[in-house]
Amino acid sequence: MKKFSLSRREALKRMGAVGVGAFLAAGGLPVYGNRSHGGQRVAVIGGGFGGATAAKYLKRLSPGLDVVLVEPQKRYYTCPFTNLYLGGMREFETLGHDYRELSRLGVRIVSQTAVDVDAEGRRLRLADGDSLSWDRLILSPGIDFRWGELEGYGREAADKAPHAWKPGPQSRLLRRQLLEMPDGGTFVLVAPDNPFRCPPGPYERVSMVAHYFKTHKPRSKVLLLDAKDNFSKQGLFLEGWKENYGDMIEWVGRSNDGRVVRVNADKLEVETEFGEIHRANVLNVVPPQKAGFIADRAGVTDESGWVPVQPRTFESKQVPGIYVIGDATQAAPMPKSGFVANTQAKVTARAILADLAGEEPPEPTWTNTCYSVIAPDWGITVAGVYEVHDGELREVPGSGGVSPMGAAADFRKREAAYAEAWYAAIAQDTWGSR
Amino acid sequence: MRKPRFSRFHFNLSIVVASAAWLFAAAAPAVAQRAPWERMEAAAKLLDVAAPKTDAIRLDLPAVTQDGSAVPLTVTIDHPMTADHYIESLHLFASGNPSPEVAEFSFSPLAGEARLSTRIRLDGTQNVIALARTNRGEWLAGAREVRVTVSGCLTQAGAFDGDDFMRTRVRAPNRLRRGEAAEIRTLINHPMETGLRKDADGQAVPERILTEFRARVAGQPVIHAKFHRAVAANPYLLFHVAPGQAGTLDLEWTEDTGKTATATAEIPAA
Repeated sequence: MKKFSLSRREALKRMGAVGVGAFLAAGGLPVYGNRSHGGQRVAVIGGGFGGATAAKYLKRLSPGLDVVLVEPQKRYYTCPFTNLYLGGMREFETLGHDYRELSRLGVRIVSQTAVDVDAEGRRLRLADGDSLSWDRLILSPGIDFRWGELEGYGREAADKAPHAWKPGPQSRLLRRQLLEMPDGGTFVLVAPDNPFRCPPGPYERVSMVAHYFKTHKPRSKVLLLDAKDNFSKQGLFLEGWKENYGDMIEWVGRSNDGRVVRVNADKLEVETEFGEIHRANVLNVVPPQKAGFIADRAGVTDESGWVPVQPRTFESKQVPGIYVIGDATQAAPMPKSGFVANTQAKVTARAILADLAGEEPPEPTWTNTCYSVIAPDWGITVAGVYEVHDGELREVPGSGGVSPMGAAADFRKREAAYAEAWYAAIAQDTWGSR
Repeated sequence: MRKPRFSRFHFNLSIVVASAAWLFAAAAPAVAQRAPWERMEAAAKLLDVAAPKTDAIRLDLPAVTQDGSAVPLTVTIDHPMTADHYIESLHLFASGNPSPEVAEFSFSPLAGEARLSTRIRLDGTQNVIALARTNRGEWLAGAREVRVTVSGCLTQAGAFDGDDFMRTRVRAPNRLRRGEAAEIRTLINHPMETGLRKDADGQAVPERILTEFRARVAGQPVIHAKFHRAVAANPYLLFHVAPGQAGTLDLEWTEDTGKTATATAEIPAA
């Protein structure tokens, strides 16, 4: 049982927020369901696709509600399109978004790390020791890595063999290593078993690395060592690799001894389950993952390391009043994608407003689209629509699907253009910038 | 973590609920929830004792899995593997598959540990059941529910690389400490066609599976497996060889056509 007391500063802030909320509601601005939620506070931890969208839509649907977004980065860099940066198709800065639009809408931005959650006392603690109370809490904490679960791959190993699975210095390190690699070298990517953030991510990444090699270091090789036998959009990726890169990319699935069991980051070597040693010039290890650490602190994770949620609202199954969205959740068959986090955020915002108003949550549906860029003129997609059926999440039968196999070049080219448009649209929806 | 809050009301209510449950159980014992192995004919038929021991088998499986085509499973039986008291057989079932039998294993005491890992096919959310019998005729039972979803970002592969058909792999430890059992990993490339799949032209692909696997050390049997079609494509099996059993490990897989494949490995002395 964690408890901490209300600081004076916090108490003043909160009183202020109540006053402003009541003033706005009284001022005749549109409010959700003809009710004002003035004086009630929803805190959101995490300013990515899930958290930023949740904060924005809560405020738009109920301007009188006090909405606080806790996110340590002033500028947030997206995982989607990091691979395009690695392939030389984008500048890193184009992946960055700030919180000016959210501020303008009246969301209070707290640029700090949330370090603890007291579910009983409905408070959260910040890295500077300050604390914040809430009536409802949304966690959108993303992922953390299970350091050391893959032998030899701890935090220090990532300085030599980057994961680049969270955008930032790791992405820049991997890009620099690719630029410094001699022509004729080998790039090795180690892909984890399910579940992990962005199921098509490793396959888009090797595509983008191959694109860079083809244009700058054509004698180089790409080796993808995989702990799985099946992967997202598999047929489309294999087809796209062959068409664009010939035999530059080699994928080794688990049943062909692709599962890596040991990493030697100093020697840039990996060892597979049946004892084969592969040597890399650039080694990219995507390690096993779990929900972001604040989910553990809040007591919402289970033995799997992920967060079980009520299907209709995404309220934690373990801790009432805490809602969890995005990659941290067990939401299969929905994938761990930015798009899914964005739609989960909207559904959960509505569910929370209904709950605060003492109403039933609306009947939800969610959607997903994941674009993958194999080459500048070669895009592919998967899409799906999800619902609650018999108390479980499922894909709506007959909804969605993947791009066709064997499509004409202009079809692939259009999908690559749609991918760029997809990025602009979802970034605009989430942060108000593109 | 929420603080438990007991009010008098809750307390009284719980007594009422408990009494109701007791009355219900006394009045209609046949309706009470039976164990998964009692509810499945194939498993119930095996059990010739009323109550198997239920605290010795542990099934490690993901509670939720996105891909039912290859679900990792580890069975650990807390039981000695000595010459006069050991686990003689292990039967695996999947209650919701078109045919519930997954695999059967016979062990000799040379297996050292009653523990193995493999990968299985699960057609939807269901119970995985393990029944084990000792050489003295005692039965042990365990079960675990697995929720199978198909991820929105996963598509069925269906692709099998014919070049590596029945290629085998084996890995034994390079060195062993005194008293340490040798962990053996094996893998063979095989599509394990279930007979339920249709090809691109809509024609049923006939069943073609590996049916048996045997491992011997220095000519003595260690483990003998019978596979059914619920063993995942490219059968993977991890098992053990008892401490002090240095020598050549001979492995043999047999297909339903009679075709066989073999592999060997050396188990070092401790």
